[in-house]
Amino acid sequence: MSVNEKFSAIRKGLLEFLVLQIIAAEKVYAADILKQLSTTEFATQEGTLYPLLSRLRREGLLDYEWKESEAGPPRKYYELTAKGKEQLRETLEYWSQINGTVKKLGQK
Amino acid sequence: MNKVITINLGGNAYQLEEGGYDALRAYLETATARLQGNPDRDEILSDIEGAIAEKFRTRLASHKTVVETKEVVAVLAEMGPIEAEPGEATHAGAAPAGISGGTTGQEAKGEEQSAGTGRTPKRLYRIQEGAMIAGVCNGIAAYVNIDPTLVRLAFVLLTLLWGSGLVVYVVMAIVVPEARSPEEKAAASGFPATAQEYIRRAKAGYYEAMKGFPDRKARREWRRRFKRDMRAHADQWRYNWHCYWTEHAPVYPGMGFMLPVLSILHGAAMVFWICALISLLATGALFGLILPAKVPVWIAALLLLIAYGILVGPLKVARRLCYRSLGRPRWTWSFVFLLDAIVWLAVVATLLWLAVHFFPEMRAAVQSIPALAHQAADDIRTWWNSR
Repeated sequence: MSVNEKFSAIRKGLLEFLVLQIIAAEKVYAADILKQLSTTEFATQEGTLYPLLSRLRREGLLDYEWKESEAGPPRKYYELTAKGKEQLRETLEYWSQINGTVKKLGQK
Repeated sequence: MNKVITINLGGNAYQLEEGGYDALRAYLETATARLQGNPDRDEILSDIEGAIAEKFRTRLASHKTVVETKEVVAVLAEMGPIEAEPGEATHAGAAPAGISGGTTGQEAKGEEQSAGTGRTPKRLYRIQEGAMIAGVCNGIAAYVNIDPTLVRLAFVLLTLLWGSGLVVYVVMAIVVPEARSPEEKAAASGFPATAQEYIRRAKAGYYEAMKGFPDRKARREWRRRFKRDMRAHADQWRYNWHCYWTEHAPVYPGMGFMLPVLSILHGAAMVFWICALISLLATGALFGLILPAKVPVWIAALLLLIAYGILVGPLKVARRLCYRSLGRPRWTWSFVFLLDAIVWLAVVATLLWLAVHFFPEMRAAVQSIPALAHQAADDIRTWWNSR
């Protein structure tokens, strides 16, 4: 089992927070999110992203508005709600704690 | 030249090749099934349709208006399988999300592949179940979807006439791999391993789909495809039925000795059938039994074929049972297969030779086969033209 496979469950869990972080930076639509993720270890597909976005919206972490696009039909642009921003802040804090633990443990 | 189907995705019309349409429909149906119980199902589906439409648009231009099948397949591969969110499915229990999520993800991928292509990709394998020697003829028969007996006859004829059949057989027995896993067995005949596809189509409904087609031509096409699919499934189920009996019927240790007897019966039935056919074609009557007026010879021949199939079915099952009673060590199987095949061939050859030698009618009939074939072809042509 390669490291890549071992971490697939962890990546799956982290994807939600990376999506929140991408949306926090600017208003984006689904294809933008995929594009930003595509060059990272978290590259993912529509089949995974759309159900995830819909759950985050139902949990009240993000919202969307329709915007006209120059080519084709209007698109959904996502943005974070106050609740989403708060959750992202907590997560980042928790993440840096974990990061610190990983570095600190085993060093004497 | 491929048929094109126009579809509506997110309010815009797209033209897809037929194969692409099938793949897209299968994808969306799987997505719908997987999002069962998700309160936002319809919204997610419309998002997904929108994303697919956007990908189609990038592949179209003013001089290219049709999305090809391979492009649809590529787009669906880019989309990836729809993954149900953990904790959203109605049946999600207390299982740790990470573990259960991992396994369902894998299953989902497998399902997606079989649903995406509609049926399992075909490959030539040797099939040991019900094989005579190495399963080459059986494999070819499954590949082109005809009776293995016909393929065997072709090989025997090739061997007797030019001696090449044997060489081809031996080479293929070495070169062609044997179907071992269930996936390979499914690929050997091109039918999906499970009845999943059948259930999917039955759910979609024959008449429900019928309503969706605007013109008569499209409707006729759908009817044709539906019938063809049903026929393929009937074949598959018949095969499963055979296998079921071979696996569940009681087996007695001494049954292996019955094998030569059964082989002789099988061979005799076949020779009888050939003689009956020759007699029918040569004299227009079945061993002197005159057909009722108005029944054309070819219908009688067809009935004869069906009768042969019914007669030989139980024999085939009995022979498979005998093979099973031989027990585990596989090398004895190959030996028995060979012996059995030799007995079978010997019986067929001897009986045919006797028939030709002792019945002048048979000899005359064999000599007149070429003329008769012409005659039959002419008959069919005139009947066809007279319709």
